[in-house]
Amino acid sequence: MYFRGNLFQFSAVLNNKKDCVRGCFQHDMDGRPPITEGSRLKDADCGNMNHEDQHNTTNAHTPAGIDRRSFLKLAGFSFASACLAGCEKGRVEKAIPFLIQPEEITPGLAYWYATTCAGCNAGCGVMAKCIDGRPIKLEGNPAHPLSRGGLCAVGQASLLGLYDSHRLKNPLRNGRETTWDQLDGEMMKELETIRRNGGAVRFLTSTLTSPTTRAMISTFLRGFQNAKHVQYDAISYSAILDAHKVTHGERLLPRYRFDQAEVIVSFDADFLGNWFSPVEFTKGYRAGRTLEGDPPRCSFHAHFESRLSLTGSNADERLCVSPAEMYESLKRLAELLAVRSGKPLAVHATLSPAVETKVSALADRLWKARGKSLVICGMNNRHGQLLVNAINDMLDNYGRTVDIARPSYQYAGNDAELEVLLREIRSGTVTALFVAEANPVYDLPDGAVLREALKKIPLVVSFAERVDETADCARFVCPTPHALETWIDHEPAEGVVAISQPTIPPLRNSRPLIESLAAWMGIKESALDLIQREWERTVFTRQAAETSFTKFWNKTLETGYAEVQPKVQSSTACDYAALAAALASSHPPAVADSDYTLILFPSLTMLDGRHAHNPWLHELPDPITKIVWDNVASVSRTTAEKLGVKEGDVLRIEANGSMIEMPTHIQPGQHDGVVAVALGYGRKGTDRFTNIGPSWLQARPTVAPGELVGKNAAHFVHFLNGHLSYLIGKVSLQATGTKYTLAKTQEYDLQREPNLFGKQTSERRRLIQETTLAAYAMDRSAGSFHREPLDSMWPEDHKYLGYRWGMVIDLNACTGCSACVMACQAENNIPVVGKDEVRRNREMSWIRIDRYYDEDNGTFSVAHQPMLCQHCAHAPCETVCPVLATVHNEEGLNQQIYNRCVGTRYCANNCPYKVRRFNWFQYRHGDEMHKMVLNPDVTVRDRGVMEKCSFCIQRIQLAKIEAKRDGRPLQDGDVQPACVQSCPAQAIVFGDMNDPNSEVSKRMKDPRYYRVLEELGVHPAVGYMTLVRNRDKKTEVPHG
Amino acid sequence: MVEPSTAAFAPAAIDTHAVATPAEHKPAWSILRKPLILGRKTYGEVTHDICSLLDRKPTAAWWGAFFVAASVLGIGIASVTYLIATGVGVWGLNNTVGWAFDITNFVFWIGIGHAGTLISAILFLFRQRWRTSVNRSAEAMTIFAVICAGLFPIIHTGRPWFAYWLIPYPNTRGPLWVNFRSPLVWDMFAIACYFTISLVFWYVGLIPDLATLRDRTKSKIKKAIYSFFSLGWEGSTRTWHRYEKLYLLLAGLATPLVVSVHTIVSWDFATSIIPGWHTTILPPYFVAGAVFSGFAMVLTLMLITRKVMALEDYITLYHIEQMCKIIIATGGMVALAYMTELFVAYYSGNEYERFTFINRALGPYAWTYWTMVSCNVLVPQFFWFKKIRTNVTAVFILSIFINIGMWFERFVIVMTSLTRDYLPASWAGFTPTLLDIGTLMGSFGLFFTLFLLFARFLPMIAIGEVKAVLSYGVHPKGENA
Repeated sequence: MYFRGNLFQFSAVLNNKKDCVRGCFQHDMDGRPPITEGSRLKDADCGNMNHEDQHNTTNAHTPAGIDRRSFLKLAGFSFASACLAGCEKGRVEKAIPFLIQPEEITPGLAYWYATTCAGCNAGCGVMAKCIDGRPIKLEGNPAHPLSRGGLCAVGQASLLGLYDSHRLKNPLRNGRETTWDQLDGEMMKELETIRRNGGAVRFLTSTLTSPTTRAMISTFLRGFQNAKHVQYDAISYSAILDAHKVTHGERLLPRYRFDQAEVIVSFDADFLGNWFSPVEFTKGYRAGRTLEGDPPRCSFHAHFESRLSLTGSNADERLCVSPAEMYESLKRLAELLAVRSGKPLAVHATLSPAVETKVSALADRLWKARGKSLVICGMNNRHGQLLVNAINDMLDNYGRTVDIARPSYQYAGNDAELEVLLREIRSGTVTALFVAEANPVYDLPDGAVLREALKKIPLVVSFAERVDETADCARFVCPTPHALETWIDHEPAEGVVAISQPTIPPLRNSRPLIESLAAWMGIKESALDLIQREWERTVFTRQAAETSFTKFWNKTLETGYAEVQPKVQSSTACDYAALAAALASSHPPAVADSDYTLILFPSLTMLDGRHAHNPWLHELPDPITKIVWDNVASVSRTTAEKLGVKEGDVLRIEANGSMIEMPTHIQPGQHDGVVAVALGYGRKGTDRFTNIGPSWLQARPTVAPGELVGKNAAHFVHFLNGHLSYLIGKVSLQATGTKYTLAKTQEYDLQREPNLFGKQTSERRRLIQETTLAAYAMDRSAGSFHREPLDSMWPEDHKYLGYRWGMVIDLNACTGCSACVMACQAENNIPVVGKDEVRRNREMSWIRIDRYYDEDNGTFSVAHQPMLCQHCAHAPCETVCPVLATVHNEEGLNQQIYNRCVGTRYCANNCPYKVRRFNWFQYRHGDEMHKMVLNPDVTVRDRGVMEKCSFCIQRIQLAKIEAKRDGRPLQDGDVQPACVQSCPAQAIVFGDMNDPNSEVSKRMKDPRYYRVLEELGVHPAVGYMTLVRNRDKKTEVPHG
Repeated sequence: MVEPSTAAFAPAAIDTHAVATPAEHKPAWSILRKPLILGRKTYGEVTHDICSLLDRKPTAAWWGAFFVAASVLGIGIASVTYLIATGVGVWGLNNTVGWAFDITNFVFWIGIGHAGTLISAILFLFRQRWRTSVNRSAEAMTIFAVICAGLFPIIHTGRPWFAYWLIPYPNTRGPLWVNFRSPLVWDMFAIACYFTISLVFWYVGLIPDLATLRDRTKSKIKKAIYSFFSLGWEGSTRTWHRYEKLYLLLAGLATPLVVSVHTIVSWDFATSIIPGWHTTILPPYFVAGAVFSGFAMVLTLMLITRKVMALEDYITLYHIEQMCKIIIATGGMVALAYMTELFVAYYSGNEYERFTFINRALGPYAWTYWTMVSCNVLVPQFFWFKKIRTNVTAVFILSIFINIGMWFERFVIVMTSLTRDYLPASWAGFTPTLLDIGTLMGSFGLFFTLFLLFARFLPMIAIGEVKAVLSYGVHPKGENA
């Protein structure tokens, strides 16, 4: 399916700016001399001449004033001058690829390049789909050892950042545009002065997973007497690393093997959401819960948390406790296990009897699953992480589910060093500060103080894609390219190295960080050269499979990654003496049950704020709250009532002299004592989205005048024991009396009907089939809805002689992460409609994830159900369309014919699943730049027509064409709709229902298989599989 | 066999501009029957009373009413222009609620039209002679209501410029035909049929009166126009005879439409899968509602007309009472339908259906449901009292309430069923925008503008027919009682 051949040459050229400026791809790497425009023109002209001479005599009809020869000459000349004009243009502003077509590239055909995702630090392997020289889609690389084919929503959306028109066009000097030469000249002078005067040089970055970049920085800093590279992460994992420094002697971030764990206890670690490597963890988590075998394989997952996280929503046992209780529970768990294992660990906890029972039951469970269990903690607190290390050691998990021999390098930030640096900056002892891939003014506490302090530093250099909060204070701003237009390497985990290769010539006058550093060291080398040199020295030597570096390099490029010999071998013994000492010298977070506690957490879409300029992510509903275009202050219903606030009322949150006012969201499943706020919002420049939606009489702007998208809550982050703490105690909450409108894609949250009669119970609709593991172990069809035999008067008017496409979604695998939603958005050219349109329930996504809360016998559960066009065999939409704009095809697809649609919306009204989407306006597809991301294989819909999921018919057609060309039958799995491909949990399976051996057919025979609203007799082609929670039989939820 | 009442068409309208009956021959009232026309009119007086309305210059009241109606129509035109230029999104619709004001207005106006057809066709066949005073205006109302109704299916589409694709006609796209399974296509046929027959029926009824106008007028232009449209009417017995046959046939043709059009409109909902729409009761329920609302609208219009045009002798309290009685009857049917719906929802055991009806009555849009019930079930009960039936002001106010109630009935059916259907995750509300309200107002503006123009340019009362009932309630021998 993928075209991987010859990528090296093609990609290599892309980075060669001299060629790129022509807006066309020439292959001088192949050894052929590049064809110049001049020579090509000459050839063309000669051809014309010869042709003319042959036919000159027969040319009898001459139009007035101009003969054919002159016409052709003129036409040829105009064409050639157009070409020349296009080619001679200094830089590519509007990239018009293939003015002169490279021979290897066929217009309209997709080419796939293996590269690495830069959406976050996890470094998942991706395949970039390029059509006509533009990357238009990112998909998970199935071979990549970490992500194994999955790609989260953020990763997929990071593609749009490439086409962001607000990216810097040129380097800046004191806020004015300048050239690289000028900047380099001045920089070298400045650096020379600093070098001579021995000034303090500091390099502040987020975690850099690129070995070459780290090496370049250290080489660069070696030239100064007083220089230091500090890495920090706005969402810090530093405590985990520091705790391992204490217990295992090595500052490292372990790799967690969720697939090996039978019992998982998580203390507020949102590992399915965005806890440092969510795709990898989702894959592993899913692998441990396949329900295969007898007894069915299904790990047990207990989750302590105070807010409702995506991971918590999937937990088998979710313990909604206050932050203080959570901490005590962690201590008690350590205490109980210490008793059992006889390890010297002295901790004492006080717990309420209810939690106590649960914790001791968990301790039993964990103890029984020694070596096959996993305890993790999301708190960036050394005290807590030390306890977790002790617990995992007592449970014998090191070397099994906790891998420190091949640790992760995804996050290596050091909060202690950051704290020192911030002190230096404030005291004014830093002479030069370089900031790359970080935005400390935005995401660190005291951003305002930092901004003032930065202004006093003589030389601040920012490497950034745009003028962010930090670059705003910098003397020099060096534009860096997007990850898809540059070379960069990665080492996300020990022994896993990967390459990012450019998929498009740089759209901006940007320069990779390493090239800039090289230039300032007087080395005129490209990023590719620098990386290759570094790899030849450090990476190539760690593998034995290939003998030639070129071969190794090419192979790595082709696959996107390489597995090499791990460097370090750490001892797995836990040092309890050091642990005890460290425990004594560190403190748990200062939170008490008597006060409100503020919990700050990374937004599932914005992360630490780095994606705040991405409209796709702003419009992706939060998997839990379903809110778009805002962050909110989540409180429980009881707390909201106590404070006298309703959904959307603005709440004032105050603590430690910091204050924020933001809209309230009433969050079921949240502890009464906490208020939760997502980080990553309120970024500078996000007011650009004010008018992103359609403009009409009663349209409301997406961003209120003078406001930004959401509110930044980073100023509440503070240092505790040398670590960034995201838990803030002693918070005061107060209603301001102001109202704010939130936009949500789901307004009603329950499977149960509302109690309109005021009765205690109400009907629970038969939407999500769920059962407990105990019941499932006894009966594989446990939890199934009662089915009446259905008589139909409708003739079976479709024979489905060839393929019959169908889909099965395993609700047990789906975590609700929304990667499929984003995949669909990118694949099917779904417009961003803005907050007001979402508020009016006019979001355009073809696949949505219905999230239902349920409170039963005191057990709070959440279920996620992806909902898309069900491609019914007896589709209610098809019969009612007056103009036959939606019809059934012979392969079972329900097709929407846009140019026939007159837009009566009858089909949407008559759809029981409400999955049809109407173009209420002429929706814009972003600006000129954003339009480059459109998939040419999918029609961009006009206003007034209906649209909906097509099962990615363009992919079905492509797979059929390819199979036909290769003279083979279509194999199961050849067709993968975008949602199927992206799903990190592989919850969605697509295939031919007529083929008894296809995965879809197999799953349809599974006793867990069911179809939503089957009783309507619409015969949907999309089925679901029962959600099995690892609970006791007695907690099984009865269906209405 | 129904023998066409020859008496319905009284002596020729050919020379009525002259006073035909001497004053001493004025009829005397009978004590047995109430006369349909008061004031002991002669033929000449009838002609004069009705035609002189068209001769006089419009009154200030007419101008005032016309100004208001045309202004409201202007709002409607502006709203629709903006709608077509911008997109259907200017209405408050959404992914869940794809129809609300648009289709509500459509069903409402179609329903209004039904009273006209019922009065002109069914009451004619049933020899309800009191109909003669109101049938012309009621038929005009039908036509204007159908025009208003017909606009909505066109403008509610996403691409109204392609709305003609709903018409099956040989085309160059294959040819690509319409989907004959779709109720919207049936709607298209039903409405087109209804409009055509109503128009023809109305026009045929107008011919003798047009001839009268032709003969009365002194303006050459008017004469030419009236001559053209009166089709050379000469008033001979043979003409009358053929005319009456044709009228009878057309009445027969129009009669099934009273039942069929709203039945087909109700199929838009009844054949769907949405709880609250998918019920077999909808066709009779819609028809009863249509007649109910239609009579309310006729009352509203007639009460204004008889006051403004001084036609109290022609549209008497007796007429008003008769119409009030029909409203009681049809209102009862509507109430029965409401109760049946609730019972069937409960008895069906279908959880979705049950919830939909509970939700209508108790959910977030309960106020619309209770507005509907109060206006359509409680208000008609006042008409049991003769005092109220004969109090023109009271009847006028109550008729307005019924109009409001019937609009809400359609709104409740169309909108609340959609807001909460099968999957709770996709439940959504509906809030009208200014453009929704503007379009609704505009349809009323269009209706009243057309009606006011009608009142100015055509005889509002069927002169020929009224003359035939002058003797109704009169002592056969012309003696004073």
